[in-house]
Amino acid sequence: MNAGIYWNPVLETLPREKLAELQLRKFQRIFSWAYKHSKFYRKLYKEAGIEPGDIKTFEDIRRVPKVEKAMMRAIQGKDPYPYGDMLCVPLEEVTEYHQTSGTTGQPVYQPDTWQDWEWLAECWAYILYAHGFRKHDRVFIPFGYNVFIAFWAGHYAAEKIGCEVVPGGVLNTEARILKMREVRATALMATPTYLLRLAEVAQNKLGLDPAKDLYITKIATGAEPGGSIPATKRRIEKLWGAKLYEHCGATEIGAWNYECLAQSGLHVNEAFFLVEIEDLETGELITEPGKMGKMVITAFDRLAQPCIRFDSKDVIQWSPEETCECGRTFRKIQGGILGRADDITKVKGVLFAPTSVEEVVRSIPELGNEYEIIVSRKGEVDDISLRVELLPEFQDRREAVKEELGRQLRVKTNLRFNLEFCEFGTLPRYEVKSKRFKDLRKEAK
Amino acid sequence: MSEEYPLEQMAQLISAIRRAASELKELGGGIPAVGRNVERILASVRMLELNISDVLNVTEVSGGE
Repeated sequence: MNAGIYWNPVLETLPREKLAELQLRKFQRIFSWAYKHSKFYRKLYKEAGIEPGDIKTFEDIRRVPKVEKAMMRAIQGKDPYPYGDMLCVPLEEVTEYHQTSGTTGQPVYQPDTWQDWEWLAECWAYILYAHGFRKHDRVFIPFGYNVFIAFWAGHYAAEKIGCEVVPGGVLNTEARILKMREVRATALMATPTYLLRLAEVAQNKLGLDPAKDLYITKIATGAEPGGSIPATKRRIEKLWGAKLYEHCGATEIGAWNYECLAQSGLHVNEAFFLVEIEDLETGELITEPGKMGKMVITAFDRLAQPCIRFDSKDVIQWSPEETCECGRTFRKIQGGILGRADDITKVKGVLFAPTSVEEVVRSIPELGNEYEIIVSRKGEVDDISLRVELLPEFQDRREAVKEELGRQLRVKTNLRFNLEFCEFGTLPRYEVKSKRFKDLRKEAK
Repeated sequence: MSEEYPLEQMAQLISAIRRAASELKELGGGIPAVGRNVERILASVRMLELNISDVLNVTEVSGGE
């Protein structure tokens, strides 16, 4: 095995039995830390009748109460202000403030010490190194540096690896493309949505072909499911003439998995995180591959505001591949984040995951990148609509595309959609996370 | 692959760096330019502990206190 492909060959190829021992010991450590230093956690665990000495096996870990985002919202805004008593360090030790994007409600604050921040960059260093980012790369980051954590840690990790980092913060989309060309950036980090948007602007407004006129060879993506949706991945790789690698992360968790050069699933960084998958209905632990469930996750080494058995609501599944050609022993998940437990909903009595639509839309070459799904209720009956954009050069194929789109959607989702073709360029464009699914039934309640 | 590396020796050196940095902070006697830079060194030392030392024996939580 070529040790040069790993950020840390010691951990990334650790035999699985040793990895399990390490995880158990690290869980005991973070549990004890939180119990000792956080009123919130101590109260939670005392009420459940669990003390640090009680955690001796993985079965014991399953008895530890989960934390939900709503619980974090409830304590925030109180002392120690603004984080509340989940905080495990004196306020003056906090050096970093970030917050969640608020996709699912009131944003949650995330305090970090400098050591935590180093840790977050370390998690990202595993990611970028696995993607092939190296010292010789000039990395362009087209990200509005602000309170959202997004690519901040990617910036620090690229520096840690030794890359040259070009921050494209306040530039607009056109200026970012021109800057990438000017400096001959070789690597890029952005959400799938924004990668498609950048390519669209390059082609339609600047007359540039990203695959030929820019110098990007590798792209790190995340924050949305697109990087693991085959049709979206193919589309982005073709547009950019570059390899696209995905990872997953969240503000209150950290960056917990990554795709390697084999591009056959996402390795969970099991030396830094414990990932448990629970059945959506029964809550039973899922260990077998190919069965979707909700992720419960622990970050072993983040101290200021620990993340212990956090109920992420992200739906994932283990990969059937027990090994990887890259030689890493970290287990893989298949298909990235398949959806949010909150978003997976019944429409006309059928279980529907909004991400299933993206694979269909992006596999039809006559359609643009954008789409919008709207679920509503007409009387007592659910109604589902899909709005898409037909590319200008294919206007004469509207009926054929409509038929094909409707057919593929029925196969993929078992649902019949109302299809609406919008004028190209009229659906919303996004720079970070997109909001393409609207369930008006929830708003009506 | 972990057997290919002198982990014990590396862990001892990491521990020595932690001790040396902490002593330096003490000697600095409250000089901000010493204390704060040592804090940053210790954060990096912690990453070495997570990457190397923990494999042998999970280290105590440090930093942020």
